[in-house]
Amino acid sequence: MKRFIAILMTLIMAMSMTMTAQGEDLAAAANAIIESKTFERTYDTNFSSSIASFNYYSTNLAIVREIVSNCIDGLVEPDIYGVYVPSLAESWETNEDQTVWTFKIREGLKWVDHTGAETEYELTAQDFVDGIRYIGDPLNGAYSLRVVRNLIKGLYDYYWLLDDIDCGLVTDQNREDVVKQFDEMVGVKALDKYTVQYQLENSAPYFLSLLESSMLILPVEYEYAMALGEDFAVDNEHLLYCGAYYVSNFERDKAITLSANTHYWDYDKITLDTVEYQMIPDGTTSLEMFKRGMTDYTSVEAEAYDSLVGTEWEDNLLPTSHSFSTNYLWLDFAGENTEFKTFINNENFRKALLYSMDREVLAALREPVDPARILRNTINAEGAIYDSNGKDYTDYSPLKEIKETNFNNPELARQYMEAAIAELCDENGNIKGVEPATVDYLPVCSFDIDGKLPVTICYVGTDDEDEIIMAQLFKAMIEDSLGAENVDFQIQAFSGWTYGTVADPLNYDIYFDSLSTGYADPSGILTRVTTDGAENVGRYDVPEFDALIEKALAAKTFEERLQYFAEAEAYLCGNGFIIPFISSLRGYYMSYSIPYTSPLTLYGNTKYKGTLVMAEPITQEESAVLEAAYEVAREAALAGK
Amino acid sequence: MENMQLNPLKFRAKVFDQMASEDTGYSNYSYWRSTFRTFFKNKAVMLLVILIVAIIVMGFLYPAISDIDPNKVSLKRKEWNQRPTWEHWFGTDQLGRDIWTRAWYGVRNSFLLAFCIALSDVGIGMIVGAIWGYNKKLDPIMIEIYNVITNIPSTVYLVLLAYIMNTSYLTLFISMASRGWIVEARFFRNRILSIRDSEYNLASRCLGTPMRRIATKNIIPHIISLIIMEAALCIPYSIGSEVFLGFVGVGLPVEAITLGNIVNQGRASFTLHPYQMLLPTIILCIITVAFYVIGNKFADASDPRNHV
Amino acid sequence: MGKYILKRTLNSLLTVAIVFVAVFMLLRLMPLSGYFPQEMLKETDEATRMSYLRNQGLLDHPMVQLGRFVKNLFHGDLGRSLTVYPKVPISTLLKEKIPVTAAFGFSSMLIGIVLGLSLGMLMVRFKDRWGDRLGTGYILMVRAIPNLIYLFFIQVWVSLWFGLPMVFEKNMPSSWILPVICLSLGSIAWYALWLRRFMVDEENRDYVKFALVKGLPQKEVWKKHIFKNAIIPLVIYLPSDLLFIISGSLVIESLYAIPGTGGLLTTAIKNQDNNLVQVIVLMYAVLSVLGVFLGDLLIAAVDPRITLTED
Repeated sequence: MKRFIAILMTLIMAMSMTMTAQGEDLAAAANAIIESKTFERTYDTNFSSSIASFNYYSTNLAIVREIVSNCIDGLVEPDIYGVYVPSLAESWETNEDQTVWTFKIREGLKWVDHTGAETEYELTAQDFVDGIRYIGDPLNGAYSLRVVRNLIKGLYDYYWLLDDIDCGLVTDQNREDVVKQFDEMVGVKALDKYTVQYQLENSAPYFLSLLESSMLILPVEYEYAMALGEDFAVDNEHLLYCGAYYVSNFERDKAITLSANTHYWDYDKITLDTVEYQMIPDGTTSLEMFKRGMTDYTSVEAEAYDSLVGTEWEDNLLPTSHSFSTNYLWLDFAGENTEFKTFINNENFRKALLYSMDREVLAALREPVDPARILRNTINAEGAIYDSNGKDYTDYSPLKEIKETNFNNPELARQYMEAAIAELCDENGNIKGVEPATVDYLPVCSFDIDGKLPVTICYVGTDDEDEIIMAQLFKAMIEDSLGAENVDFQIQAFSGWTYGTVADPLNYDIYFDSLSTGYADPSGILTRVTTDGAENVGRYDVPEFDALIEKALAAKTFEERLQYFAEAEAYLCGNGFIIPFISSLRGYYMSYSIPYTSPLTLYGNTKYKGTLVMAEPITQEESAVLEAAYEVAREAALAGK
Repeated sequence: MENMQLNPLKFRAKVFDQMASEDTGYSNYSYWRSTFRTFFKNKAVMLLVILIVAIIVMGFLYPAISDIDPNKVSLKRKEWNQRPTWEHWFGTDQLGRDIWTRAWYGVRNSFLLAFCIALSDVGIGMIVGAIWGYNKKLDPIMIEIYNVITNIPSTVYLVLLAYIMNTSYLTLFISMASRGWIVEARFFRNRILSIRDSEYNLASRCLGTPMRRIATKNIIPHIISLIIMEAALCIPYSIGSEVFLGFVGVGLPVEAITLGNIVNQGRASFTLHPYQMLLPTIILCIITVAFYVIGNKFADASDPRNHV
Repeated sequence: MGKYILKRTLNSLLTVAIVFVAVFMLLRLMPLSGYFPQEMLKETDEATRMSYLRNQGLLDHPMVQLGRFVKNLFHGDLGRSLTVYPKVPISTLLKEKIPVTAAFGFSSMLIGIVLGLSLGMLMVRFKDRWGDRLGTGYILMVRAIPNLIYLFFIQVWVSLWFGLPMVFEKNMPSSWILPVICLSLGSIAWYALWLRRFMVDEENRDYVKFALVKGLPQKEVWKKHIFKNAIIPLVIYLPSDLLFIISGSLVIESLYAIPGTGGLLTTAIKNQDNNLVQVIVLMYAVLSVLGVFLGDLLIAAVDPRITLTED
């Protein structure tokens, strides 16, 4: 019942939003809620995977990202509406074609150490240059370099020159000399003590969002890092901080304490003195501990959700807000399994697959109440990329049509399947041109094919329990809608860490994976899935798509660029070359913190600057009111941008 | 003490019987018959034997006669995680599969697997152990091999195995059987050594008893109870280690059903749907307890000192 | 005696060396892609990966790598973790993790011995009566119920009934109770089972019967003869158990979030953290041969019938 009221309230709020006059009422209601609360100065949260190291250049672990985004500030940061506001940079400017970005840095800031004391090191433009210098050296083993290395002028050549010297391919140049030439070779300059300039290879209107999402562009005190050598960032004592918090306590695989940095430039905005993390390896445990008041946050998986309905906690269950990561199916277009290879290269069969799944049932594994909320038919997420008029990228035609199509259509899938069979098989069910053979997908599996219907499909996913359950649903759905006499869906699982033996040598027909929109531009994913793109592990050949991507990259305006990208993405998804189906979003959560008080970080970071934490968990009603007020305010904020 | 007096009236002279005095040297004692008689005298043991036979029969019969597909996934959400009903006696799991059916398939598969492992561990172990125990020259080499094998963490070669082989019963069998045999071999070697050198065997050998007779009459009866006990313990062991192997990546194919993977469905199922664990756990407990007790009692029964 | 010890030491060193080299070489058989987690494989290109591997020295000939490791070992340098805790010195890791696990291991071992031996004696004292049945019931329960099930049960329900914390916390002694109990459940059963078995065996020996017939008080016979003789086969495992308190339990440590060594080896192997695996394997191999050796010495010390000389 409470749930119903909450939904009703949200609806009323949503309707009222259209009438701006009521916006003020909403803001007042939201303020009333916030003012009625008492706030804590400590937030107890938890993490589940062990922390490898704090080296923000060589890890992408979610928990490390979270800590680093609180402890090392970037040049800009999003405010609570996701609008970029000054952080370490006071102001910035860019040239006409957005290939040169210049940032003016706050003066007189010092790095602090793990006791919160100021060090002798001052934060200057040089520290940003040195960050790039650090990742540009292959010896430092920076992680996920591709985007940044290809974007910043000269970095690609610098990196590979050093690498060639290291492995003896280039002998006429000496390593030290090349390192000395960094400032000339690479397009990142400290124009003066407090001005840093990035020169880019291509136009990058999305550069600010990249600054938010990529840890590679964060500053480093080079002298300090080099003095420590390999010890840099192995624990909290071997790291310097310049963000709102510093890591005052670190017990490996156990606990982390963030303490407010009293020397922080924006200290007044800090609302929490300490953020305590403890390791709780299991979701069930964190839920139990939340109920016993021993942690301030817990995620609630779909299964646990059902058990909380009808209890005192029902009222505290809040839906998680967004995820830019998309789950999709890869299809292998050049596999050894000739039965599947013959069919997948047929457009009708791809469409049959596309329409064969009831995506809402799949989504219900993660979101039991409103599964439709997490369906996603496109690769890039809705709400991640906007043009300069505030229009969402996924609202560009023809991507909008793909986004809004209902792909749960077994009848249509059956028709496409029959069409495919008519084209590819003779009347006895023999697939033309396919001989009986043994398919060797070892170490994943090996099986025999007979060249007749049903088509053998070898599905491969990790042995994660949830993924296996999903795979079993795939099997049931695809065999149901295409007919078990037409397809034989086999599930194979591999252990997560043997990925390299599965995806690299392409030992699969269908493969479950995810891609994530990393910054506010479709190119982040789309340039990787072209015919010769690094992520094209399905080995498809799509010249039409490639051509559109080329056009997009050469586009004059951002709008034109998005238009071509949208056409390209629609082509890829609409023709079933890859099949995105849901977002990676997982169910619900319960928390003591008030939503919409933290900066709106979209790309996997979490910031506690400004977060308000109460003495009791937030309820659905409160959250609904706050959300309605927030939406109105955000609309205004984005329009004002 | 003082009250205890011999009453002559209680004694009577026995008449000498020529036939009976000739009879003494012989009894119709048969080792195996006595063993089984002693074994089945215990009512609890009888019950456990019946139970275990019933479970095994059910495990092999049910999959053969039932037409319910244990892997039949339901696409309707409301059929997932059902509580026990008339249609599904023990409810359904998170994809709406019938737990009752799955449990019996699990019993069958787990038993076959455990049986193979018991056979290989105890079988190979016994043969190697016997050779090891009887050959003094081999001893230092075998001890070194034993030390090396048991000191290499099994995860190292299991992970390698996971890279080479696909998931199947054969892979699981190979990885489970990879180490057990040497442990068993050492165990049997120690027992055989101590029995071989015990006084009555020395005496027997001095009296010229042939080796074959010593082996069949004096050594094997001692060993046989150990064999049965060790084999009995293989069942719970194999079910337990299956879980670890799955964790390392040499588990079973996704659709294979064993008691191990039903019971270890995960943390969530345990706290949220405890009834899903009920049947498989009970069966598992009965199997473990039964084999443990049966093994122990059989060991007792096979000890000639306990025979009547 | 001295000669025996020398010979045993050399023998043990040989075993350790063989184990170590075998593991070292096995690790080098793993595919190169295994050095990278899934996300990293997707994010990087082949050339970047090769450059990383080369910089880590992983592309050198295995014998070169072995030589480098041994050389560093003699300089007291255990190296740095490769993939699990990148760049963190292994000595730091062990220094952090071993004390935690050892504290738990030692307390649970102590409880196991005290309670286990008491339970075992109880079972013999009341053989075939309630004490025995109770003990057998306990032992069967621990062995028969899949351990995950009763461990979950203890963590979720027992903690609720007694108001105990669900995860380990260093500064809160009440949070140590449940993990120690979980850890000792198995060893209590083990000690009880074997003590009962050995004591029953001794009880039926002729010398015991003789002593009782001679008129020695039952208590005396129990204390001086039965218990003493029955404990000897258990004593041999004591040094090993004591040394191996530093290897924690994978399941229990992960349930209670204990930052110990429990899952370290398995995680390291799965992530192909060669440096870490090598050190741990070496450590465990040394402890293992040392444990057996000390066990033999100990048993010779407590049992005058056994002498440590070659026959």
